[in-house]
Amino acid sequence: MIVARSLSRKFGRFLAVDSLDFHIDRGRVVGFLGPNGAGKTTTIRMIAGYLPPTAGTVEVDGLDVVRAGREVHRRIGYLPEAAPLYSEMRVDEFLKFRARLFGIERSKRRRAIDLALRRCSLDEVRTRPIHQLSKGFRQRVGLAAALLHQPPVLILDEPTVGLDPAQIREVRALIRELAGNHTILLSTHILPEVELTCDQIIMMARGRIRAQGTISQLQQTGDKTPRYLLETNSSKPENAIREMKGVADVQSVVMDEHWRRVTVVAAAGTPDLREPLAATVAKMGCSVRELHREAASLEHLFVQMIADAEAHAAESDGGRQAGQKGEEA
Amino acid sequence: MSRVITLTEREVRSFFLTPVGYIVIALFVVFASLVFNAGFEQGQPASMQKVFRWGMWILLVVCPAITMGLISEERRLGTFELLVTSPVREFEIIAGKFLGAMAFLILMLTPTLFHVALLEIYGRPDYGELACGYLGLLLAGSAYIATGLLASTLTTSQLLAYLATFLGWLAVLLAFVFAPTFLDDPWLTFAFASDPIPRLHDFAIGLIDMSNVIYFVSIAVFFLIVSNRVLEAQRWP
Repeated sequence: MIVARSLSRKFGRFLAVDSLDFHIDRGRVVGFLGPNGAGKTTTIRMIAGYLPPTAGTVEVDGLDVVRAGREVHRRIGYLPEAAPLYSEMRVDEFLKFRARLFGIERSKRRRAIDLALRRCSLDEVRTRPIHQLSKGFRQRVGLAAALLHQPPVLILDEPTVGLDPAQIREVRALIRELAGNHTILLSTHILPEVELTCDQIIMMARGRIRAQGTISQLQQTGDKTPRYLLETNSSKPENAIREMKGVADVQSVVMDEHWRRVTVVAAAGTPDLREPLAATVAKMGCSVRELHREAASLEHLFVQMIADAEAHAAESDGGRQAGQKGEEA
Repeated sequence: MSRVITLTEREVRSFFLTPVGYIVIALFVVFASLVFNAGFEQGQPASMQKVFRWGMWILLVVCPAITMGLISEERRLGTFELLVTSPVREFEIIAGKFLGAMAFLILMLTPTLFHVALLEIYGRPDYGELACGYLGLLLAGSAYIATGLLASTLTTSQLLAYLATFLGWLAVLLAFVFAPTFLDDPWLTFAFASDPIPRLHDFAIGLIDMSNVIYFVSIAVFFLIVSNRVLEAQRWP
């Protein structure tokens, strides 16, 4: 549905987005994840047709965004960063204005507006001026405006920024609800957000894609040495566990007179150890009251990725400076 | 076309949903009334010639205030991003903004009909001449508005847009006023021919000269085309 090929954007001499390649299938919810300044908004603006790329192409539904301009705009519902709205207008006035701009016929306009208001739970504020609304409501008005013309693609730049936890949950629920009928691309710098709402993640830092894939794919790449947590009433479980295949390290902590908490670090590339661990404890005639594999944290991968990107940037900056010094000498 | 009307409508409404519209109208009415009053005496002809003659200067102060926010404010607030990512063409944006400002200009001129009513009560005004004067104000206003629109596409600051339009035109008008002191004949004739003020005076005395109409219309069209180019260039370099 959305295909980018060596998509790049320069601002003056600053390369904000550096040859991105990605492919988003129809009906997916995809998260652009990255620290602030990673190039997420620039990328999103190029897909939405606001900023032309300086190199490369991006296609939406098979149409080149730059060349097909208006045809692409009809297929996209776009919520820019911070949900800009005409604050002097009333909510229903604003939606009517947007509906007319998108060429929704008069006979269908009423229904389209009602549907968008209902989906975004805006009925109670439909006649209020936008400037009187809270941040959460404004965000939802922006979302309702993006949904009006029933676009196959929704692009949401930081849809939950500045909202309180309850509002964030509502927006997430709404995004999940919309997922069936739309291909959704959203950006965020908040990790749990993508874990909770997205099928696919594109991690960006310093203008480049550092990792992409489904959550489980990314977890596998991040999860080279999985850890297991085990609570057992065995008094000396370490030796038996250490002898198991694929176990790299075992540590245990006494919790009380009966129970111990054991942390098992597996060797890289070991298949799931949960069953063998339970079996081992059972063989000793003891019981297990808790056993889980620590979900490879995306956070770990995310932090790692940012650190790598920074290190790389520092290195190339260092190199450049050294080069300049060389030239000066 | 329907998108242009949609944009025009929103523009006119937004003038009246923010204080700017009312302030601009109040300012214009005060200026126009002061000038009108100065010539409203016993024995004077029942006309608004003074208001129309001074129109170029009154509109110089007022028109940049109408246009200063047209695009710059949308850019500053980010709504411009929503506008250009909806299926509208650049020229539709420019046309919508221009027509919105023109509609506002017409609404701004309507309170001066009160002056016309006074003339009717105290004398026998020539309605042909009055209509002609109003046409002159609209044409002069369209030239200012198109220029102001261009200024507004070039900055995100309303103040800058206002100053660029106001000072630009002030310089032009003053140059014509003082032209006789520093220009000699072949050039002076040429300068006089391109001076907007005598052209507006023609309208004020009820004279519709096609060259005057074309003069103001072509200024407006020229600046609208340039504004459109600027928007296109910003979007598709």
